[in-house]
Amino acid sequence: MSEFNHSNVSGGNAPDPDYKWTYEYYDDDEPVSFEGLKAHRYSIVIGFWVGLAVFVIFMFFVLTLLTKTGAPHPEGAEPCKKRVRLTSCVEDFSPPADPDNRPCLHRPLLDSSVSRSLFHCYVNEEQAQEGSRPRAGARVLGAPRGGLVQGPGRGRSGSPEEGGMEVGVTSARQGAAMLGGNQTDHREAMSLSHFNIPNVVNSEHCSTLGADDLLLGEPPIIMEGECHWPHSAHHMMD
Amino acid sequence: MNDVSALPSNHTDCQVVKVPHLVFLVLGMVSLSENLLVVVAVVRNKNLHSPMYMFICSLATFNTISSLSKTWETLMMEFSDVGQLDSRGDSVRRVDDIIDALLCMSFIGCICSFLAIAVDRYVTIFHALRYHNIMTTRRAAAALAGIWALCGVAGAVMVAFCDATVIKIFFIVLFLISLLLILFLYVHMFLLARSHARKIAALPGSAMPHRSLRGALTLTMLFGVFVVCWAPFFLHLLLLMVCVENPYCECYRSLFQLNLVLLMSHAVVDPAIYAFRSAELRNTFRKMLLCSDSPLCYKVKALFH
Repeated sequence: MSEFNHSNVSGGNAPDPDYKWTYEYYDDDEPVSFEGLKAHRYSIVIGFWVGLAVFVIFMFFVLTLLTKTGAPHPEGAEPCKKRVRLTSCVEDFSPPADPDNRPCLHRPLLDSSVSRSLFHCYVNEEQAQEGSRPRAGARVLGAPRGGLVQGPGRGRSGSPEEGGMEVGVTSARQGAAMLGGNQTDHREAMSLSHFNIPNVVNSEHCSTLGADDLLLGEPPIIMEGECHWPHSAHHMMD
Repeated sequence: MNDVSALPSNHTDCQVVKVPHLVFLVLGMVSLSENLLVVVAVVRNKNLHSPMYMFICSLATFNTISSLSKTWETLMMEFSDVGQLDSRGDSVRRVDDIIDALLCMSFIGCICSFLAIAVDRYVTIFHALRYHNIMTTRRAAAALAGIWALCGVAGAVMVAFCDATVIKIFFIVLFLISLLLILFLYVHMFLLARSHARKIAALPGSAMPHRSLRGALTLTMLFGVFVVCWAPFFLHLLLLMVCVENPYCECYRSLFQLNLVLLMSHAVVDPAIYAFRSAELRNTFRKMLLCSDSPLCYKVKALFH
């Protein structure tokens, strides 16, 4: 064992003259005996890796099952819809107090029915006010996609750095498509109905709406009104 | 990184598995170039100066530091093997300590950056309306400054008192806590996305959300890579404290260099699962690498046309 480094177990006080640039090895006082091992000597290694693989695969299957099981509950969206009935299309989605509506807490964020209702609300408001700018319309149009409803020019940083949300929700797009009554848009919007884990908060303006844009190919939800949606605005103005 | 591994008395049992230095060098180079690219891209592009990209940039910086120190250490070990370097000198030991401190700092920094990214995404989803009030650039910068300070101090302390068991316990506990937190945050986000997908499916005429499988795949990949790359190293630390003389533990500890390779490969995979997913970042890379917006490149292109 002389070729290996001897290191002080209790914390070296004096510099070791035999210090070598290598991984240090402790020299045990009693050499470990490999006699009479009951199991395979790499059993910890094998057990650890098998356990890790099982855990990861199990986690994957649990997550997959979570996505598949359970019937959709369209009526569950109604309480949320009623809760977000707006008069001015400006709302603060503060968390509801009662626990019954707690599932609603996050639904207004991404609920298509909610966004549709907001959309209708905004359209009504648009018609009510003459001289509303199309840009402002596009801005709020962009908002319901992420559930963020702010009146035009309300307290937003508005800088390109502030991000939208790439949660693959195309709810408002569907809403726009439905309002516009365009069949192809509707079908296209419906085909985009999947979700993903937000990998990025999309801060660019909506020029990069490709299928490869997102983690899972979802179009980003732009919460800030930096982007214009000309075709959606046309739908809105119809 | 100097580490401790019990030496079996019988050389035929559980010999230490040695990984050639070339592997570490290649991994270090690849990881360094990738992460440096991410850092430069985030710094250069003004659009990427948002809290989320700041956290990703911080993760890439920690990965850069860790790959730099590991490559540096591998080079010095190579020189020492060849005989070019006097490994007994005092200055060499000091350099060795600095390398170890940097490695510890970058390990802790990586874990903290993962946590910060997970928290940022969590706030994005669950407090989306107030995201810009909660996660301002100033707060993100303050959080990053705190993380860096904590990691610097922790790295220095760990190397100064590396023989104390408390250090190893701290490391392991930190790892476990952040693992659980990250798992909780991501699963919560996943559940929300799943409930929304159901609602989309409830709409008339909507297609079956069969592509929601990819959400599960993404989450498994994110978390699975983290666990697979980091857990073996931490189990090594744990076994070092718990069972020093057990032959089974020794056989596990003999694979230390393989665990280190796994840890290094995580720095290689990290940009792929965090940074390269962003289209804006990819566009910045394309612009940088193909240099489509630099006046120098116009001259170069003019030369060839």
